[in-house]
Amino acid sequence: MRSLPVRVIGKPAVAVLLVLSLAVAVMAVAAPRVIGIAAAVVKDVRIKGAGAANFSKASVRQRVALADQVHTGAASRLQLLLLDKSKFTVGANARLTIDRFVYDPSGSSSFSASVAKGAFRFMSGRSGRDNNSAIKSPAATIGIRGTVVDGVVGELAAAIARSERAIGRDVESDPETATLVVLRGPGPQTRGGVSVGAADVSAAGVTVNLDRPLQAAYVPRVGAPPIGPFTISMPGLARLGDLILEPQERLLPPPGSTANLPFPRDNLPQPGVFLPPPGAIYNGGGRNDGGFGPGIPGLGSFPELPVDRPTQRTRQTGQAQPSPSPTPTTAPTQTPNPPPTTTNVPPPTTAGSPSPNNPNSPNYPQQPVP
Amino acid sequence: MKVRDFPAACLLALTAASLGALPARAETPAELDALSRATDQPGSGVALARRQIASGELLDALATLERVILNHPEDEEARLLHAGVTCSIDDRRGALVELDVLRGREFSDSLWDEATADCSRQREG
Repeated sequence: MRSLPVRVIGKPAVAVLLVLSLAVAVMAVAAPRVIGIAAAVVKDVRIKGAGAANFSKASVRQRVALADQVHTGAASRLQLLLLDKSKFTVGANARLTIDRFVYDPSGSSSFSASVAKGAFRFMSGRSGRDNNSAIKSPAATIGIRGTVVDGVVGELAAAIARSERAIGRDVESDPETATLVVLRGPGPQTRGGVSVGAADVSAAGVTVNLDRPLQAAYVPRVGAPPIGPFTISMPGLARLGDLILEPQERLLPPPGSTANLPFPRDNLPQPGVFLPPPGAIYNGGGRNDGGFGPGIPGLGSFPELPVDRPTQRTRQTGQAQPSPSPTPTTAPTQTPNPPPTTTNVPPPTTAGSPSPNNPNSPNYPQQPVP
Repeated sequence: MKVRDFPAACLLALTAASLGALPARAETPAELDALSRATDQPGSGVALARRQIASGELLDALATLERVILNHPEDEEARLLHAGVTCSIDDRRGALVELDVLRGREFSDSLWDEATADCSRQREG
């Protein structure tokens, strides 16, 4: 029996395989690279792929790719889960673009996004400082290393900053580009040996380092250096948290209401105290200097949390427990912000209270003359 | 290289290149889907968060609880546990902000103790 020449059999097969390989390679290059999923979608969230002409309504578990643009509407939220286990939660009325994603399972990973507007929370996929990610706003670049960072860009950043004593009312902010950044943790006392993270906020050639929970930096406009680090006040933190997750006001009874309250009315703080009134100034400290309001019943005074003191919770028997006698507490120690390691620009000089944050005050730390 | 071997060589090279263009395996989208599905319902989401807490995956647990809160903002157990994990990562002031919202709500002793254990523990530290 004569066998067919190898050359005759081989050539068509080789040609077919060649074409198929070329097709696979072209598709791999042209197809958007999936970097994660939309793990939670609340209300009006729209995503536009790199090659798409229009935004499309996002659905839960929709794939997310490099260069995707994200828009969220009013009262809308989105959480992205990325392949390196990073998490990116986006608040309402936000605009962002995914710029870069690199992941090596045996090594480091990095993620980069641009946020034009809105609030966000970024959690590194890995603890420790191998994980380098960056979020860019029009006014600043935020470097994130193994940590949780909250941020907001735009008029809401300026609104929160105005109520922070470290910033004050006299800083000129651009409502389009103002950027506020807060480091949330892990801190030095994190359970389980999780590595401490850090963040840098860079703008106008100046970098501010954040390496403890609730350290914050504020960039008021394009071309301005960051102000900070300072400790964000608890009301400021609450307002920022409301922008990222569902507003907590939903859980509060309306002012003046006594409906469905299991505790005697006079044991509760006044309604509305939780959020500061418009224009209020709060510093980064505790209650004794007007920072946050009455303490949480049963939890003692800020910042100490009791180990043995019973709470004012209604136990399962349904009988309310009497509120414990308040334990006298000392004023929380106010640790002034350490001298900046970089050149920080203080708020503009104004006449005002003799606060350590007021450059006109004799208590204001003297800056070295360059 | 002989001329007749050239197509085979090209085939091998292109095949290798196309395989290299695929992303290295990380968490796969399917695995991420499973994490997302778990938080469609608050019960399964909270259970997942508890497993992550027990494994020391605190940031994962935070994200899980946040998804539960996004999907079910009325779920107080998820908010309480979220406050507890916030303490666990040494953000105690942030935890106080979250716990303040839950004043007046009813929780069992065991749940309260579970959630606030790290808040109290850090005071001793």
